[in-house]
Amino acid sequence: MKTDNFGSLKRKTIIYFVIVTSVIILTGRLFQMQILHRVDYEIKSSDNSIKSLELEPLRGVFYDRNYKVLVSNIPAYTLRITPAYYDTSLNKIIETVIDAESGYIKNLLYLNRIYSKYLAIKIRRDIDFKTVAWLEENSEHLPGVDYIIEMQRYYPAGVMPSHAFGYTKEISPDHLEKEKDNYKLGDYVGHNGLEKTYEKLLRGTKGYHYVLVDSRRKQIGKYLNGADDVLPIKGNDLVLGIEASTQKVAEEEFTGKRGALVAIDPTSGEIIAMVSSPSYDLNQFSFFTSKDYLENVYKDPEKPLFNRATMSVNPPGSTIKMLEAITALDLGLINTSYTIFCGGGFTYGRFFKCHGSHGTVNVVTAIEKSCNTFFYKLIYKIGMDRWKEYATRFGLGQKTSIDITEEVSGFIPDENYYKKRYGENWPKSIMASLGIGQGEVSVTSLQLAQYVALIANNGKMKTPHFVRGYIENESGKLVSFDYKEINTNISQAAFDVVKKGMFLVVNGHGTATHIRLPDIEIAGKTGTAQNPHGEDHAWFVGFAPYENPQIAVAVLVENVGFGGTHAAPIAKKVIQTYLNSFKGEGKTLKEEIAILKNN
Amino acid sequence: MRIDYNIKDKFDFGLFLPALVLLGFGLAAIYSSTVNNILAHENFQRQIVWGVIALILFFITYSLPTNFFKTIAIPGYLISLGLLLAVLVIGKHVSGSKSWIMIGSMGFQPSELAKIGTILAIAAYLSRNNSNIDSFKDILVTLAIGITPILLILLEPDMGTSIVFIGIILMMFFWKGISSFSLFVVLSPAFVAIAAIFGLIYFILALILVLVFLFIFKRNLFFSASIFAFNLSSGFFADYIFRALSPHQQKRIQSFLDPMADPLGSGYNTIQAKVAIGSGGLTGKGFLAGNQTQLQFIPEQWTDFAYCVIGEEFGFIGSIIVLGIFLFLFLRILKLTHNTKDEFLSLVSIGILSVYLVHFIINLGMVVGILPVIGIPLPFISYGGSSLLLNIFMLGILANFYRTRKNYT
Repeated sequence: MKTDNFGSLKRKTIIYFVIVTSVIILTGRLFQMQILHRVDYEIKSSDNSIKSLELEPLRGVFYDRNYKVLVSNIPAYTLRITPAYYDTSLNKIIETVIDAESGYIKNLLYLNRIYSKYLAIKIRRDIDFKTVAWLEENSEHLPGVDYIIEMQRYYPAGVMPSHAFGYTKEISPDHLEKEKDNYKLGDYVGHNGLEKTYEKLLRGTKGYHYVLVDSRRKQIGKYLNGADDVLPIKGNDLVLGIEASTQKVAEEEFTGKRGALVAIDPTSGEIIAMVSSPSYDLNQFSFFTSKDYLENVYKDPEKPLFNRATMSVNPPGSTIKMLEAITALDLGLINTSYTIFCGGGFTYGRFFKCHGSHGTVNVVTAIEKSCNTFFYKLIYKIGMDRWKEYATRFGLGQKTSIDITEEVSGFIPDENYYKKRYGENWPKSIMASLGIGQGEVSVTSLQLAQYVALIANNGKMKTPHFVRGYIENESGKLVSFDYKEINTNISQAAFDVVKKGMFLVVNGHGTATHIRLPDIEIAGKTGTAQNPHGEDHAWFVGFAPYENPQIAVAVLVENVGFGGTHAAPIAKKVIQTYLNSFKGEGKTLKEEIAILKNN
Repeated sequence: MRIDYNIKDKFDFGLFLPALVLLGFGLAAIYSSTVNNILAHENFQRQIVWGVIALILFFITYSLPTNFFKTIAIPGYLISLGLLLAVLVIGKHVSGSKSWIMIGSMGFQPSELAKIGTILAIAAYLSRNNSNIDSFKDILVTLAIGITPILLILLEPDMGTSIVFIGIILMMFFWKGISSFSLFVVLSPAFVAIAAIFGLIYFILALILVLVFLFIFKRNLFFSASIFAFNLSSGFFADYIFRALSPHQQKRIQSFLDPMADPLGSGYNTIQAKVAIGSGGLTGKGFLAGNQTQLQFIPEQWTDFAYCVIGEEFGFIGSIIVLGIFLFLFLRILKLTHNTKDEFLSLVSIGILSVYLVHFIINLGMVVGILPVIGIPLPFISYGGSSLLLNIFMLGILANFYRTRKNYT
């Protein structure tokens, strides 16, 4: 049944009336608000508005293994301009005051033109106190110019393993896109090194402070008297395995030299010191980086930004000889009564030279004297793949997964590699060079340090790492991280023999007798990495004390020649400093107070 | 000249152009309110992409054979119900409601699709040859079609969208020609149920009001008594359901029904919105120069409060231009609806108009502070892909009806 009512004119008129009435009511309301009461609303608009201000948390500090502060925070001033109130005729004078090139401010304003004129633009960070005083004095004549206090990184211990610490940097747009909840534009985040790895712990939690502001964003009071404010939570402090005085000595030893040093505590896997030289000044990166400095650092042919300790690979030279000795001993291919005769070299297709005629040598003397002939022969006994397998057990040619991301793996070849390259009948003479750590074998200083630390600790150790743990804010207690244990599964007897050889390198008639110390028994091995591009690189790996190893070191000095002469003394200094830092254990009263203050 | 005439005959610029201008105003508002907001600054580009997709959809819809909409009425309705069920299971929570289905990083709200699905289904049902709108059966079936999606949407929970559905049902009943008594029978139980949730006194007052109406309508005693009994039981039923809910759900329903119950939560937005619009004055503060907008005093202003940007930055003049365009569009649709003699098409048109109108009234009423804060967007203006697609799709349906109107008169 159809009704006459369907879509009737009457019903259309009623709907028409509803539509028109609602539009009239809305128009009336708009007229009332925008025309009649405009002034009231304008006053409100410029008066009472609540705005939340972010409160930046303090970034966690770094302690060394004795709770000495390595990295902390100090306040710095940042100059800002709010375009809405700013008069561009001031450009010149401000540029002069902050020592910027002409057009600097104009350019920044131009770059930020797409944003609201009411948002303050950070013009320059880390302005000096004189500039702040000048801003204060002349604030009346500087509309739209102000400054805020921000925290910047500070390195009070005078040590700077820059590549390990890393620096913070303004967040990149890509990173921001991924972590919108935690950051905003202009926030600083860890860019590399430990600052990057431990960003989540270090950054803390932002707080909020609610204030009443007028439309100029001028604060006119607290909102609800601060009842709704959320305090920021400080970032967690990290405790590192670094020992400040050892690190300092290591850095000093490398002045004017190119190379790297890694010192590991074999009992824990903690890094005691790390140097990559030449380095860069973290202070220059902590906030405002001058253009000149950046340009110098980037263009420097010696690449100071590059972490030589973890990213530069070189043939290990003779330092690899312990690996072969351990492998052959562990596999039962040789024992201490196995001897060879060194007549000054070895022939396999061609003649391979030894650096002397060592006569009858066993495995211990072979290490002590670094006899090439012994190891030329030994690698053929072991064979390529078993050699590679044992190298892998020590982590050579692989990333160590240390707690900084800047690391490369290096390379250890195996039989397949040469088969692929030269075919089934690849020239086996290649192996002779590999046997003494030359040719297509490359490792990082960190890997060699891990290798020698594993020898020192009889084949077991935690993965190398910088950070022992973090300090819980509330309890002040150290929360230790758990690191994976490396276990080489090699017989103790093999280590005993090889360590004996290393002991004699320094304390017998070996290649590093000049670093012998009366009170500390150092065991070690020199090495020389052949360098086709110039002077050879010098290696030294070692550990001490011989009986109860507390520190293992790998030192690389580039382009200086023989390892015993150039690398070993650096290792000696570092070992000495570290072991002496134990004396009188505990801390001085002054240090204790400093710790209390910092907590 | 002849070509021009032909285009106007086939294509209603009176529908298309106003929507396009409103879309432009919306984009300006979205740009202004998000340009300084690092969390939302890409919304402008997104809305442009949505706009382009929507326009393509418009022309596809426009070109379809008109009978197509009759064919898809029932399956479309069932699919949209299926999606509403699906969202309760696999949906994503966004500001308290589980109303989004995510496909990769893209999300859409099935409740948008359900609007047109419900309109088509009710229109198909009511335009049957032997339908009688004042019959018990027709009212009940229509209510069932309309209330099923409402219940599913209330579970999300999304109160604002539910109200839109109530608007659709009432408007379509009205257009179909329901008598005032039948309308009373439909509305009174809902009214009594809401009153019951507020408390005993309101419940009794509502029942007295029902008695007064029954007396005015003067139907036979038995019929009146059974209607009264139905009202009474609906009140008890609502109270029973309400008590069975968890306290936070009760609170949510109360604060929805009584905006004064939550003065700070939504009150802050209203105050800031009013200040933004009021301080705009006659000519506005200028594009990108509204401090309320630029300082982000209104959270998520680009969605439901997008009109504030227009009010603040374009002033009274800009605001009433937008109102005027809406007025023009609504009257145009009403005229088209009235001139369409085919019942199905006419009912669909009025359903679509009701969606636009309810959104328009509730959104603007909220923004200018004369209605409680119920979060539903302003058609064509507010940011949001799902709602823009639906609104333009519905406009495409209307344009389609216009194109083939001569076949149905």
